[in-house]
Amino acid sequence: MAQPKQEKQNDVLQGTLDLLILKAVSLGPLHGYGVLLRIQQISGEELVIQQGSLYPALYRLEHQGAIASEWGESENNRKAKYYKLTAAGRQRLQTETEKWNRMSNLIGTILRVTSEEI
Amino acid sequence: MISELKSWMRAMTQRGRLEAEMETELAEHVAHRTEDLMRAGMTRDDAARQARVELGPMLMHKEEMRTSLGLKWFDELASDLRYALRLLRKSPGFTLIAAGSLALAIGANSTIFAVGRQLLFGRVTVPHPEELRNLNWLGGKHTPGFGMWGEWSPAPEGGTIAPIFSYPMYQQLKAENHEIGDLVAFKGDSMNATVHGDAQRADVVLVSGNFYEQMQVRVQLGRPLEPADDVKEGAGTVVVISDGLWTRKYGRSPAVLGQIVRVNQQLMTIVGVNPRGFTGIKGAMDSPDLFVPITMLPVIDPKNWGKQPVMTDPNMLWVNIAARTKPGIKDDAAQATLGAKYESALRGTVKLKDGETLPKLVLADGSRGLHMMDEEIEKPIYVLFGFTVLLLLLACVNVANLLLARGAQRQREINVRMAMGARRGRIVRQLFTESLLLAGLGGVGGLMLSIAGRNLLPRLMENPWETDTAQIPFDWLAFGFTLLVTFATATIFGLLPAWLAARNEVSSQLKESGHQATRRRKAWSGKGIVALQIALSTVLVIGAGVFLRTVLQLNSVDLGFDPNHVLMFDVQPPAKKYADGRDVLLHKQLEQKIAAVPGAESVSPAWMPLASGNMMNSDFVTEDKPADGKNPPEFLNAVGNDYFHTMRIPMITGRAFGPQDTSSSVKVAVINQALSKKRFPNGNPIGKRFRTDDPPKGEWIQVVGICADTRYAQLKDEPPPVFYLPYVQQKEVGGMTYQIRTHTSAAALAPSIQRIVQGLDPDLPMIDIRTEREQIDATMQMERTLATLTTGFGLMALILASVGIYGIMAYTVSQRTNEIGIRLALGAERGQIRGMILGESTWITATGLVAGVAGALGLVRLVKSMLFGIAPYDPVTLGCAVTVMLGVAVMASWIPAGRAAGVEPMEALRHE
Repeated sequence: MAQPKQEKQNDVLQGTLDLLILKAVSLGPLHGYGVLLRIQQISGEELVIQQGSLYPALYRLEHQGAIASEWGESENNRKAKYYKLTAAGRQRLQTETEKWNRMSNLIGTILRVTSEEI
Repeated sequence: MISELKSWMRAMTQRGRLEAEMETELAEHVAHRTEDLMRAGMTRDDAARQARVELGPMLMHKEEMRTSLGLKWFDELASDLRYALRLLRKSPGFTLIAAGSLALAIGANSTIFAVGRQLLFGRVTVPHPEELRNLNWLGGKHTPGFGMWGEWSPAPEGGTIAPIFSYPMYQQLKAENHEIGDLVAFKGDSMNATVHGDAQRADVVLVSGNFYEQMQVRVQLGRPLEPADDVKEGAGTVVVISDGLWTRKYGRSPAVLGQIVRVNQQLMTIVGVNPRGFTGIKGAMDSPDLFVPITMLPVIDPKNWGKQPVMTDPNMLWVNIAARTKPGIKDDAAQATLGAKYESALRGTVKLKDGETLPKLVLADGSRGLHMMDEEIEKPIYVLFGFTVLLLLLACVNVANLLLARGAQRQREINVRMAMGARRGRIVRQLFTESLLLAGLGGVGGLMLSIAGRNLLPRLMENPWETDTAQIPFDWLAFGFTLLVTFATATIFGLLPAWLAARNEVSSQLKESGHQATRRRKAWSGKGIVALQIALSTVLVIGAGVFLRTVLQLNSVDLGFDPNHVLMFDVQPPAKKYADGRDVLLHKQLEQKIAAVPGAESVSPAWMPLASGNMMNSDFVTEDKPADGKNPPEFLNAVGNDYFHTMRIPMITGRAFGPQDTSSSVKVAVINQALSKKRFPNGNPIGKRFRTDDPPKGEWIQVVGICADTRYAQLKDEPPPVFYLPYVQQKEVGGMTYQIRTHTSAAALAPSIQRIVQGLDPDLPMIDIRTEREQIDATMQMERTLATLTTGFGLMALILASVGIYGIMAYTVSQRTNEIGIRLALGAERGQIRGMILGESTWITATGLVAGVAGALGLVRLVKSMLFGIAPYDPVTLGCAVTVMLGVAVMASWIPAGRAAGVEPMEALRHE
């Protein structure tokens, strides 16, 4: 059980974390821990994100204007900072998603190639 | 981009809240995780620990979050700055010397830049100055003789270019011109203005009535001068005053309109106030106080040296003409068409003699006014700028040297930083921040100095008896220049030491003790830098030396007369009131009365004050036909009987003028030796006769004496041939300059003379009271200003060089304490140790001197034309400069040498 977990952590490629965060908050406002949980939940617990890298990424996205934050109350009545997608963020999510799909199709095609096809 | 800027600004301004929020957010995360883990069955303590481990090091995350917000570089900068500030505060002596020398150099540099920019590129303050054109005429070598009152300068091939025209010519061209905008006439003049009963010298501009309309100048109060004001001669008794005069004399009160100002003798009504900073269109440095209609000239300041009144004399050139370009008409086309009109107008009034050609009309750019001074001031300004650049370089090198010595002391600190993982770039950045801070301090000081200096510098260029208040406006470009210079200096003096400090290998350095490791190389680069400082200072000192020598040479010129103890002033009797020879009578009375004043040894009026740049010539036709058949004009002066005695000009043979020479007696003249040699080469000129008009109409003039040669118009020119006439034998003389030989001070004598003048005519002012010495000094104003400033820069250079030598020698001695101790313990004499240190500094100095002298010799060649009486390789200057530099080097290293000689061997050995 320990071995696959190690692999899962490495799965989050540089740059894709931003995309995942955007997707996560596009489904509704979340606080930092919530973002983490939602990504793991959607991925069926397959993907584990290094918790430390989450917050710099959130701050970077907010700095760039892709997400906005607001202080509110969490489910257990504590102060929490909620992130939500901005219009610019929605735009970015869309283009990044298209880019990702193109890329993964391309790579998939390349990887499916057999010797006869060349 | 915008959101990033906004977010950065928010983070910067609400830093405390941001830090607290980051803290809360991360704590919240841990709390959530802890709860989840407890829910999965862990104990509270285990869950909390596990949550913290999963999150990782909080400090690092927070740092990364700050980086995300773009705060990191700023934080580093802030901490670097804090650290640098602490360091500078810790060594106030170093900070003071470094920042102070930078401030002086940056200040000098920025001042010369600002003043030079204004002098060479400043524009007159009217809307769209680039549309302005001035009319000039360009004459060949032989142009018909004109009377000229105003600006002219030599053109290539012996010609003349001048922006002055006769008033009838202006009127005719104005009427016929369709090529450019309506022609505007203007004339700058200096007059006595009485405002609120307080008489003072004022810059007055006489302008045609269309001036304000054509120049699009809006007065800030009242009305401008209008075309109706200049229609009738002497009728437009209205004046527009400057903002400065309005502020000084009327407290900016609107009640100024309708007030009366007395200009010379004429009462004028103030009708308007010019905009602030208005220069007129003559020069960008001008700030004239009064604008009056040009047709008031004959009443206010009648110039009666021609045969006709100036307003109608076609042969008297004096009025400046300007106009705006017309859209769609090229300058060439306008110049050609207007030029043809000018030529045909000239043909109507001028009779050409053999070989003479008519001058041509030239349109010149008027955006900077007439700028006749350009050629005269261009070189001095570039020279001064060059000086300040060298000085700045010297100050940079000086600070670099000081920083290097400190860098050596800080080597251990830097090594420790690098050993703990600081990147090389980060260290260079930190050291560079310190340099920037130092340069910033210097820059602020320099900016303040330059603001003070730019108002001081123009004052250096003025005559002591004139009060021009030329202001150099604050100028953003000059400010930007200061900023740029500051950054440049930081780069020059900061980068090398920073790079040297950071390039060391950590391991090798930490192993050795700090000073051993650094001495070898640092001492070498330090000495090289000091040699460079010596070389730069040598260049500056030699440069200052040649300009100083030029002034000394000018001062020791054999004038041919005695300029000491001579008081001078002008009297200009108005032509209308003193017509038909009444002016001669006035001067006679004045001469007699002043001669009787106690304290006045002798007195004589003269047309031309000597060595004042003024000259006057007339035809000189000898009775005997000259060998080559030519009778060129010669310089002349009309003087009183006591002139030669008063000016101490020796008579060689014959007699001077005396009471026997009257208006009815035989016309006589005294000629100087040069004229005698030139025009009467064979035999005795005494008794020979000549005329001053061609073709001859008047009486013959007989030579009765020969006097010694004197300098005439220019101090620098060899004495020219001159002849003197008694003013009492002239039909009319107009204004004259009085020379009074006296041992009483000007301040003491002036009031009693003033009473005499006013006793004869209460409306007659004494103009430009000065001494002959001041008059001569004024003609070498440029040379003196240059010498004063360059000497100042040279002194600064000497101080910087001595600081450099002292610094490096003191450092060397402290580094070699150990070695010196051993030498002493082994029996070296203290004198030997002192000699060793002094010898070392002398070597460094000698190296720098050789380089400096070589550089200076090359540079001085470039300013050869600005020198007088010395060769560019003046041995006196070179000798003095070398002696001074060596002296400074010995003095600066005397204390370190003494310290070295005073080392106690036991202490020195224990020191390690």
